Amino acid sequence: MPRWMLAVLALICALPAHAQQAQVAADIGRRVAELYAAPALSAFSGATRRLDEAMRTLCDAPAPPALEEARAAFAGSVRAWGPVSILRFGPLVEENRFEHIFFWPDVRGVTLRQVQGVLGKKDESAAMPEGLAEKSVALQGLPAMEFVLFGSGAESLAEGDGAFRCRYGAAIAANLAERAAVVERAWRPGAPFHAALTRPAADNALYRTPGEVAGEVVKALSTALQFVRDTELLPALGDSAQEAQGRRAPLWRSNLTFALAGAQVEGVAGLLRAADFAGSLDAARRPLVDSVLFDLDHASQALRAVEAPAEAAFAKEGERARIAYAAVALDGARHSIGEQLSAAIGLTMGFNALDGD
Amino acid sequence: MRSTAIDRRTFLALAGGAALAPQGAWASEEALFLGARLNGGRFEAAVIDERGRDRLVLPLEARGHSFAVDAPRRRAVAFARSPGRFAIAFDVEGRDAPQAIAAAPGRHFYGHGVFTGDGRLMLATENDFEAGRGVIGVYDATDGFRRLAEFASQGVGPHEAVLLDDGRTLCVANGGILTHPDYGRAKLNLATMAPSLAYIDIASGAVVEQAALAPELHQLSIRHMAVDAAGDVWFGCQYEGAASERPPLVGRHRRGRPAELFAGPRDVLHAMQNYVGSVALDASGTVLATSSPRGGLIAFWDTQSGRHLGHRLLPDGCGIAPAARGRVLATSGRGAILSAGWNSQGVLAEPGKAGPAWDNHLRRL
Repeated sequence: MPRWMLAVLALICALPAHAQQAQVAADIGRRVAELYAAPALSAFSGATRRLDEAMRTLCDAPAPPALEEARAAFAGSVRAWGPVSILRFGPLVEENRFEHIFFWPDVRGVTLRQVQGVLGKKDESAAMPEGLAEKSVALQGLPAMEFVLFGSGAESLAEGDGAFRCRYGAAIAANLAERAAVVERAWRPGAPFHAALTRPAADNALYRTPGEVAGEVVKALSTALQFVRDTELLPALGDSAQEAQGRRAPLWRSNLTFALAGAQVEGVAGLLRAADFAGSLDAARRPLVDSVLFDLDHASQALRAVEAPAEAAFAKEGERARIAYAAVALDGARHSIGEQLSAAIGLTMGFNALDGD
Repeated sequence: MRSTAIDRRTFLALAGGAALAPQGAWASEEALFLGARLNGGRFEAAVIDERGRDRLVLPLEARGHSFAVDAPRRRAVAFARSPGRFAIAFDVEGRDAPQAIAAAPGRHFYGHGVFTGDGRLMLATENDFEAGRGVIGVYDATDGFRRLAEFASQGVGPHEAVLLDDGRTLCVANGGILTHPDYGRAKLNLATMAPSLAYIDIASGAVVEQAALAPELHQLSIRHMAVDAAGDVWFGCQYEGAASERPPLVGRHRRGRPAELFAGPRDVLHAMQNYVGSVALDASGTVLATSSPRGGLIAFWDTQSGRHLGHRLLPDGCGIAPAARGRVLATSGRGAILSAGWNSQGVLAEPGKAGPAWDNHLRRL
C-alpha cells in the first residue's frame, strides 16, 4: 500500500478530541485547582488534623471538656468536607476515597450495624489505623466518627470507661487526616493529577482539551447537586410531614445535616465561580451563571435557616418548607447547569452517556 | 403506585397513522427495529423499518430503555428506564391495544427483558430494592402478563439478560451496582461492588454457572450482552473506578472457562471513556459491535479472535441492532440513524435538532 493511503486511512480513523470547541477559559484547570481545590483541601486536611489531635487528647485524658473539643473538631471537619466533597473526580474517586471519608447514602444502615458490632466486640483491629484501613468503608470516615462521638454510649468517652471506643475513634480520625493529606497532595502542583488537569493536551491520558476539563467540572457540579438533594434531603423529607424521617438524613445525631448540605451547596457555587464560565460567555448569556448562583445562594440560605434539630426538622411544617424550597432550587440549578450552561459553553451532554444505563 | 394507564385512543390514533405496512406479505418479511426515544418533548417507543422510517409510535409516560422481543408473534414489551416501574406490552403492527404491566410492589424494572422462544413467558430484570438484591420477574405472556414468580438474579443490579440457544438458560449481567429508588440513581456500593455473569435455569431458578472478573476489576460493571454464532456470550462494561484507569470494556465468556477481556487499540479504548452503552452482533453472529455514546463511536470486533476490526464515529450513538452481514443499524441521541459496518456506513437519517433523541437501545424484531 502506498504511504499516502496509509496516511489517509490514519486520518479517517483518527478519533475526535471532542468534536466541537468548547468555549471555556484555557486555564480552567488551573483556576479550579488554585482558586477552589487548594484552599478547600487545605482547610479539610487542617480540620481533620485537629480532629486527630483532639481524639488523642481525649483518649489520653478523658474529660467532658476534651469530649466537647473533639465534637467541635468533628463539626469543623464536616464543614470543611462540604466543599471538598464536590470534587468527585480524580484523587477523591481513586481508591474509593470518597466512600472511605463519607460513606453515604447508607440506605440500609450499614454504618450503625457495623460500628455497633466493633464497639460491642471491642474489635482491637479496628482501633489501629492500619487495621481499620483494611475494613469496610462504613467503619471509617465521618458517619462512623459521628456515631463514636454522638451515638448512644458516647458519654463514656468523657469518663474513662470508654477507652476502646476512644481508641477506635482515634483510629478513624487518624485515617481521615491521612486521606485528607493524600488528596491534598494529589491536587498540588507537581503531582500527576494536577499536571493532567492544568495542562490538557492530546497526549494527556485524562484531559485532552480545556473543554474536557470543563466537562469534568460541569459533571461534578451536577453530581454534587443531585447528591445533596436526592441522597441527603429528599429521603428524610418524604412526601408529607407524617412520612418524614429525620433519621434518614446524614449526620442527624450531631445535628450537622444542614451545616453539611449548606457547605456543599456553597461549594458548588464556589467551584462555579472559580471555573469562571461567565468570563467566556457573551453578555447575552452571562446572566445564565448569575441565575444559577442566585438559586444556589438561596438554597444554602434556606438550609442554613433551619433551626430545629435535624432529626425533628424534616417533620416540622415551617422547616419542611425551607428544605423543600432548597430541593427545588438545587434541582433548578442542576438543570440550568446541565442544559443551558453546558450548551452555552459548547459542551454537549449526551442523551445516552448517563451513568448506569 | 404510579399510573401506568395508557390512553388507548391516543395509541390507536398513533398506530393508525403510523403503522402503515404497505402490503401484508412484504411487511412480514421486512426487518423492523424497536427503540425508545424522546421526540418533541414526549417519550415514545418507536418501531422503525430498515430504512429508518417510523412504522408505529407508542407514547410512554416516562423515559423508556430497552425491549423484550417476541419476534414470531410480532410483539414486544417496552420497559421503563431504571428505576421505572412501568412496562408496556404491544403488538408491533398495532393490531391490539397495548397493555400496561406495573412493577410488583417493592420492585422496579432495570429496563431489559426477554421472551422465551415459545412466547409463553416474559422475563424481566428487576430490583428488590429493600433487600438490595436483583431478581428476575417471570410473567405469563399468554395471560395478560400476570406475574407468576420471581427468582434471584444471583447478584446486585441485574441489567441485561439474554436467553441462550437451549431456550432454558438465562444469562444475566449482574452489573453489581446497588441503587434504591428513594435515592434516585445514586450508586450505593461502589467500594464493594462485585459484578458477575450468572447462568440460571429458568425452569427451576437454579444457578448453573457464574463467572466473575478478576478481583482488581470489581468496579467494572458488566451491563450489556449478546450471544454470538458460536454460542459465546459477549458483554460490554462500564467502569466505575477512576478515570485515570482504562480497563478493557469488552469481554467474552465461553461456558466453563474464565471470562476474557479485549482492550482493542489504545486510542479507541481511551475514546470510549470507560463506557460501553450497548452491544449487538451482526446478522452472521460473527462480528460484534459495541457502542460508546461518550466517545461517540461504534467499535467492531471479530468474535473468533477478539480482534478490533475498526470503528465508526457517531456522536452520542448508542442504539445498535443486527442488520446485514458485518453491519448494524445504529441510532444516536441526536437523531441520526446509520447503517454501519466496520469499513463503511450509510446515513439513513442525519442528526438534527428536530429529530428524535434515540435512547440507549435498539432491538431488531
